[in-house]
Amino acid sequence: MDPINPLQRLAFRGKGVDLFIVLIVNWLLTIVTLGLYYPWAKVRKLKYYYEHTELDGHPFHFHGTGREMFIGFIKAVGLFAVLGGGGFALYYFVHPLLLQVVLAAGVIALFPLVIHGTFRYRMGRSSWRGIHFGYRGELGPLYKQCLTDGLITVITFGFYAPWFTIHLRNYVLGNVRWGSSRFEYKGDGPDYFILNLKCYFFTLFTLGGYWFRWRKELFDYYVNNLSWHLGDDRVIRFKSTATGAGMFRLIIGNLFLILLTLGFGYAWAEVRTMQFVTRNIEFIGDADLGSVVQTEQEHKQALADELGDLMDIGIFL
Amino acid sequence: MSDGTEAVLYDGVRSQPHAARITVREQNALQVEYDKERFTWPLEHEGLQWERSRDSLRISFGEFPRRVIIVRDPIFIQSFVLRMRYSGRQGLYDRLLAIARSGPVLFFLAVAALMVGGYLWLLPWAAEGLAMVLPRTLDRELGEAAYSSMAMTLEEDTARTIALQQFGDALDLSDEDSLIFHVVKDDQVNAFALPGGHIVVFTGILDKMDQPGELAALLAHEGTHVAERHSTRMLMRQLASYVFISMLIGDASAIVAVVAENADNIRNLSYTRGLEEDADRHGMERLHARGVDPQGMVELLKLLNEEAMEIPQAMQFLSSHPLTQDRISTAETEVSKLGPMAVAPLDLVPLFTAVRGNK
Repeated sequence: MDPINPLQRLAFRGKGVDLFIVLIVNWLLTIVTLGLYYPWAKVRKLKYYYEHTELDGHPFHFHGTGREMFIGFIKAVGLFAVLGGGGFALYYFVHPLLLQVVLAAGVIALFPLVIHGTFRYRMGRSSWRGIHFGYRGELGPLYKQCLTDGLITVITFGFYAPWFTIHLRNYVLGNVRWGSSRFEYKGDGPDYFILNLKCYFFTLFTLGGYWFRWRKELFDYYVNNLSWHLGDDRVIRFKSTATGAGMFRLIIGNLFLILLTLGFGYAWAEVRTMQFVTRNIEFIGDADLGSVVQTEQEHKQALADELGDLMDIGIFL
Repeated sequence: MSDGTEAVLYDGVRSQPHAARITVREQNALQVEYDKERFTWPLEHEGLQWERSRDSLRISFGEFPRRVIIVRDPIFIQSFVLRMRYSGRQGLYDRLLAIARSGPVLFFLAVAALMVGGYLWLLPWAAEGLAMVLPRTLDRELGEAAYSSMAMTLEEDTARTIALQQFGDALDLSDEDSLIFHVVKDDQVNAFALPGGHIVVFTGILDKMDQPGELAALLAHEGTHVAERHSTRMLMRQLASYVFISMLIGDASAIVAVVAENADNIRNLSYTRGLEEDADRHGMERLHARGVDPQGMVELLKLLNEEAMEIPQAMQFLSSHPLTQDRISTAETEVSKLGPMAVAPLDLVPLFTAVRGNK
């Protein structure tokens, strides 16, 4: 065990064996139901992560249900069927190129919606100490931002992508609430650009060795720019204690865990990752977490969450 | 404070946790005390929900925002879960989880066996069943789309294509589809069939042939792939296994990617060994019924076998499986099984000469 560090208030208490059992039962039920169990399986897995992640000894909770995920899943598949069907109709009757155009337009149009909806759903269905998280972002500004940044990214052949990412993070994470408290992310486009550029060159010169360092710096950049505002200037800042060596051990260890077990070590790898993340975030500032009031509403629409799955959009940006 | 088990209560209004004590009362109710309050939650009430993880029990009650109690005392958890189990409030999931926990290794092996079995036998069976239910027009549309996308890259020999079409028509290979034959200038010793009826034969394979029986056998083999809808069946199989695997790893996006990818990629599908032998056998039956000596199939396979030994990687013949002596001897057995032909022999020599062109 690590020495007790009062700043290290997050902990992941899950065990590889337990997660493994949850996953096998998921697999079993998924096969037996010919895949229909998939949304429930997803919920079981998420719940395991939440239940075993603790802040100050209190666990998080995921309120989502398989039922609402299933409804979202059906809607997402329906939406894709309509989009695909429309695309194929144009492909056959009008012009073959239109299929790509329709699919590309669909993905571009859906991206902000997926981010927005997923955050609303995930946050609305998460709680800690009985107080729900929430997402207050709005679709209009997000669309405007994504379209502007997306266009500049295309025009600059991708050079603007770091700015795109950071603007998105600033907006989305800045709209996360926990009851009456709020989160803020203050990233900076140029910094993030230089961070990535540095990685590109150093990785080349160090024959890939710098890559782990870069992963560590990405983690640092995520954590160190995040803060938690509890009102009246009471702020908790986060500080990453990750090291390049730690990141190296995590990634290489997980690679071996998964490869040598033909994938069955996945559960253990996941546990190691969660432990790494929770162990390497320090809380700076002793703002009182007991004075927060319930303010956020529940949100039960899982459509975007499932769309995100189909389109492979992760919510951690 | 009275007796009871220690617990933590979240009141759903403020984030300050409360130390609480919890007791199960005789009248099937939970009594909860915290600060100076005391209330009871009926255990049978719809509004009471509980979830148990390995070392904690979470009970919540009421409408949003719900009041929540977390208990960590193992004895309380055990007795509570038992009580709920007797009152029938334990789902299939918890029972499965309990079984899995009692013998993880055995449970895992059983699930793994089921998974492998399902993947190897149940999945292909179900996928092919599904493929056969799909309308034949789908084959035609898939084939047309694939052909039009690759037509640009193929250099067709128009004169020999016309001759091959006549040769193929004479064989009358399919009842359901009209087969469209193409001769393409390419040195590969290869031919392939697209679903719905396009059959492409490379000049490389034509130039190796010296008797009409071989060509008839090749077309009969490819014709069977079309008639028996092998491409669609393989496509469905492949799709099903992708869906299966991506479900296990919980990655739904892979499914979308596969659908998009495979629409274009029919040509590169490889058939299973079983389907290839099917195509050989049905092809020979077809030839036999039309008055063409099925021995042509044996000759064709021998020709391809020799070719395969010379240039291994060029030997595709629609399959990633190498031609083996097995397939030849299976074909030989089939020839003797079919016996003498019941109809007058079909004279293919003039048509074959036309296909061969001036070579």
